[in-house]
Amino acid sequence: MFSELSAQKEGSSLLCRPSEDQGPVFDRMSLAYSPCSERYTVGERSFSRQYAHIYAARLMQMRPLLSERAKQKWGSDVLIRKLCDLQTGEQCCIVGTLFKRMDLQPSILKEISEEHNLLPQPARVKFISETDELILEDELQRIKLEGNIYRDKCVTGSVIAIYGAEKNDGKFTVEDFCMADLPPQSPRPTLSSDRFVLLVSGLGLGSTHADSMLGLQLLVDMVTGQLGDQGEQSGAATISRVLLVGNLLSQNTQDADAATKPKYLTKKTQAGSVEAIRLLDEMLLQLVASVPVDVMPGQYDPTNFTLPQQALHRCMFPLSSVYPTLQLVTNPHQSHIDGVRFLGTSGQNVCDIQRYSSMDDHLEILEDTLRLRHLAPTAPDTLGCYPFYQKDPFILEECPHVYFSGMAPTFQSKLVKGPDGQECLLVTIPDFNSTQTACLVNLRTLTCEPISFSAFSADEDEDSEMNVSH
Amino acid sequence: MTTKPRLITDSFKVVKKAKRGARKAKRPLSPPPTHQAEAGAATLQEEELRTLRHFDLDWRFGPCTGISRLHRWERAELHGLDPPEEIRELLQTHTDPEYSLSLWRDYPL
Repeated sequence: MFSELSAQKEGSSLLCRPSEDQGPVFDRMSLAYSPCSERYTVGERSFSRQYAHIYAARLMQMRPLLSERAKQKWGSDVLIRKLCDLQTGEQCCIVGTLFKRMDLQPSILKEISEEHNLLPQPARVKFISETDELILEDELQRIKLEGNIYRDKCVTGSVIAIYGAEKNDGKFTVEDFCMADLPPQSPRPTLSSDRFVLLVSGLGLGSTHADSMLGLQLLVDMVTGQLGDQGEQSGAATISRVLLVGNLLSQNTQDADAATKPKYLTKKTQAGSVEAIRLLDEMLLQLVASVPVDVMPGQYDPTNFTLPQQALHRCMFPLSSVYPTLQLVTNPHQSHIDGVRFLGTSGQNVCDIQRYSSMDDHLEILEDTLRLRHLAPTAPDTLGCYPFYQKDPFILEECPHVYFSGMAPTFQSKLVKGPDGQECLLVTIPDFNSTQTACLVNLRTLTCEPISFSAFSADEDEDSEMNVSH
Repeated sequence: MTTKPRLITDSFKVVKKAKRGARKAKRPLSPPPTHQAEAGAATLQEEELRTLRHFDLDWRFGPCTGISRLHRWERAELHGLDPPEEIRELLQTHTDPEYSLSLWRDYPL
């Protein structure tokens, strides 16, 4: 563990007399790094296509995988039917895309048509209700589902295989269903020593209350080795990479007034994000001078809104972008760090599933998306998404070793094992602005621990294992 | 000698512009067959276009609106759906929008 590593040296303490000679130099480990996010970069930007293509491509890609899973689960002689060949009362298996019809789902058409007698709706956290219906679609048809399938847990857009029979009333009674489960994984190299990757989400710069700034500065100082005694400094040298997972800017930097106010009133005002980006640039400058940093954009960052979010532009960081250690990357981001495959998002996909299903736990949702083999099943239905047509880049083709998502309320982590011996560490990275907590992933043992920088938090004795400020 | 009032059209000839819409509307129609050979070519073209329309309407290869026929063919190939090879040959030899774009090309979205 990182905390043990930092505290191992006893002889050197800050309480001793400063030595005459230059202190020891701890070299930071530099690890082999190869980004593999090409699939998430959008070259041409044509928005003239419909989203039917992405669903078609998704089903095309997932159908062979699911047919195989269905054969593994229900025997190789299981009858796999298309909906158009379905016979009433016949036991069979169907592969298709789920669609959940939800009364509470916000719909622009509904809002327009009911404009004249519109009742003000309370702001909702969840859009599920008792009247929701599950429907399975394949290329040509759709059928209503009932039976052994948990309606509230499913979300629109997930491709699954169901087993059962159609009843006389035209509904399909599900006996069992299966998901694509974990994709194949390449083996993880065995590493000789502990090395860490620091994951931070939601720096929230430019927010109205600046109480996270102290924590942030402590984080930067800790990583750059300007904090603590020699033990802690040698510990910091094992942090070989920092990943900033989205929401670098606070929601407050997006003022809605600018769009509605007349131009002559806002002419002289500066967008809130300008100051925040400058702050971010200065903070990045301190970091990149010492450690490689990957910067992923998030929901409130100045890049495109739809997934996959493209990397922030270099010109926004005049100070730090001259360093080769600064990597500006896309929002679902995938990379190999010392042979360990990282994949993750800034958390929009997880938050969206949370709104449209009964699941509340970010870790549970994260595991679900891994089992569905799809990063963002609710895109493009309720989550903005680029209209892809050739293939759906959010389908996981290779199982990552570390699968993370940002913007979580709390830190959680879990090791998930797949049917073919896959091992995947799931990490939900808490919002740094509110929790002052980051996560350290140990590449050797594939474990994760939180590291908290809260200076004046009320719940000090919570699971923060290393409280640097004390 | 009386000088005629000079008109602007004396120095600049009247040029009649063809209407834009009129040309477009005419294009889908095949030219009237004058020779026997041309008639043969026209029926061949008809035949080819019919095969392509059949390809558009084949549901196995996914939706056809908004993308070119070749893109759709490539997608089907990518996902192992074995689209007919002759379609690709047709699409690669002709660059005319009548060939390269799908049946619903005149309908935006």
